[in-house]
Amino acid sequence: MRKQLLTMLVLGLILVPFAVSPAATKTLRIGSMSPLTGPYAADGNDIKNGTLTAIEIFEEEGGIPGFDEIELYPQDTACDPKQAVAAANKLLNLEVVGVIGAYCSSSTIPASETLAEEDIPMITPASTNEQVTERGLPYMFRMCGRDDDQSKVAVQFIKESLNADSIFIVDDKTTYSQGLADGVEKECEKAGIEVLGHDHVNQGDKDFSALLTKAKSKGADVFYMSMQNHATGSLMTIQAKRLGLDAQILTQDANMHPNFIKVAKDAAEGVMVTFGYVDESTPEYKKYAKKFSAKYGEIGAYGTYAYDAATVLLKAIKESGSTDPEDIKAEIMNMNFQGASKMVKFRPNGDSGSNYIVFVIKDGEYVKYWDPAKGKL
Amino acid sequence: MEYFIQQFINGITLGGVYALIALGYTMVYGVIQLINFAHGEFFAAGGYMGVILLAYMTGAGYLETHPFLCIAGAGVLTMAYTAFLAMGVERMAYKPLRYASRLSLLVSALGMSIFLSNGLMLTQGVFDKPYPSELTHGGFEIGPISVGYLQVIIVGMTAVLLVGLNILVFKTRIGMAMRATAQDKIMSSLVSISSNRIIALTFAIGAGLAACAGMMTGFYYGSVRYDMGFVPGIKAFAAAVLGGIGNITGAMLGGVIIGMVEVFGAAYISGQYKDVFAFIIMIAVLYFKPTGIMGENVDDTRV
Repeated sequence: MRKQLLTMLVLGLILVPFAVSPAATKTLRIGSMSPLTGPYAADGNDIKNGTLTAIEIFEEEGGIPGFDEIELYPQDTACDPKQAVAAANKLLNLEVVGVIGAYCSSSTIPASETLAEEDIPMITPASTNEQVTERGLPYMFRMCGRDDDQSKVAVQFIKESLNADSIFIVDDKTTYSQGLADGVEKECEKAGIEVLGHDHVNQGDKDFSALLTKAKSKGADVFYMSMQNHATGSLMTIQAKRLGLDAQILTQDANMHPNFIKVAKDAAEGVMVTFGYVDESTPEYKKYAKKFSAKYGEIGAYGTYAYDAATVLLKAIKESGSTDPEDIKAEIMNMNFQGASKMVKFRPNGDSGSNYIVFVIKDGEYVKYWDPAKGKL
Repeated sequence: MEYFIQQFINGITLGGVYALIALGYTMVYGVIQLINFAHGEFFAAGGYMGVILLAYMTGAGYLETHPFLCIAGAGVLTMAYTAFLAMGVERMAYKPLRYASRLSLLVSALGMSIFLSNGLMLTQGVFDKPYPSELTHGGFEIGPISVGYLQVIIVGMTAVLLVGLNILVFKTRIGMAMRATAQDKIMSSLVSISSNRIIALTFAIGAGLAACAGMMTGFYYGSVRYDMGFVPGIKAFAAAVLGGIGNITGAMLGGVIIGMVEVFGAAYISGQYKDVFAFIIMIAVLYFKPTGIMGENVDDTRV
């Protein structure tokens, strides 16, 4: 008898979470996906914090009618495709209405396919690989620029501003870094710049002496470095300078990080970087920056795009008065407003345009250097 | 030809680092037949201890006034610290398993490796820590070939340590005790050699060498990172096996070969396959000579 009672009690306890309704208040659930641990944790946390900032500002300005609060469910993808798909499934179980993320293109692509099974809209603030929006997924949007735009700007810069005739390219073989490097190679061939070599390294490598000696012996005018992570980029820069590689080093958005300069120190001086241009003088940016830095400190590269992505999602839900993906999409396609990072206007495939410019590292800071439309700044 | 010589210099530097780490693997294996997978973490711990000490010295202003004294002092302290760390690890993770099966020891070593590298991550953070490497950035030119001072120091240190270690093992009483313990623990304890003490000493020496390699790597590459021990650890293990595990000169030779193969693979074929070449060489040698290059007379000379 006592045993039966005990069994009943245990069974009862198991059923508690199913029987008791958790939500007395009506909550709008949105998800975010980014690497919160591991080597990309800094950018990943910026994405989470940018999204949270958007929610806070949105709630202060009245929230969404019909919902008492907006709740964010941040997921860690660790820049790992498997973990990204698991995170997407978890968000589906949590019944979120939209997702901000992910960071690495190699995570965003498989995760978006999982989300597409349930027609959940996804807006990436950081994945720049072309394929993200080229697969015909109806609810996939992108806040940042694209690699093919970045490679075009890089090559235009090499030709017009650096007047270079030859280039040596190296990447570290991720969907993003190799895709971008391949794009640069293709554009260079079109522009008549001689590609003297295109080599690859493995992620986690520390010794690049062999590769850099090779690059030096080829004598290219430009050394193009496409790295998934600024840690690899800074190591390669130090070794390149020490070996006496006198080619101009040009690199991409992942190396736009305070730690790149902190580690490479003097070797970083004169390195050039392509990155999306953010006009820091607009009131929208200032509003965001004030809120973000008060709570989370220094503004990282992708926080601003995450803020805009979350604002787009929340605005679409508010203005359409619905959480149906079709209504959200219709509203997003109609948008045309000044965001924190840029003018927000989407194209039919889900892209929102790029605004790459070139920065140069001078006295330990990233300084705007060249704009494809205006030339030298 | 210049290109070849330049790459040769790159290769021998990398090989020197691998060789220093490989010595620890091979010595520990010689004495207790354990592949100490936590050895790569001693290398990382050394790198971190070095950067911490140097940061204190920079803060106190000594690094600028007495750079060489400071680096040498930091080096000695780092090696000592890591040697104690290794003895602690041995005491906690391996000594209780002295008479357990070798598989339990191996699992314990893997666990220790994960514990140490995650411990470093939690206490030191996920980002690279920069080394004050400006001091050692210089170099000289021989014709068209540029050689860094640090490359000379790495190769020189490795050579000195190898000779020193050989003298220690083959010419001193401690070395004799180590060799005796390696051959037969019970028998050697009957002639009043404390095998526990000898084993702890072996760990300490191996870890000290790894710490030295860790600091030199920090200077050479300009930064350290919590997971820096993993890949070089695996490569050094391959080097130890290639040279004939248990054999000191073999580990040295294996390290240099792996470093060379990697660099020349990257130089003449492609950078993305350099790890593949390193391991192909290892497999090829083991296929024809399963004991490794120098591994013939394992029973007499292993440490």
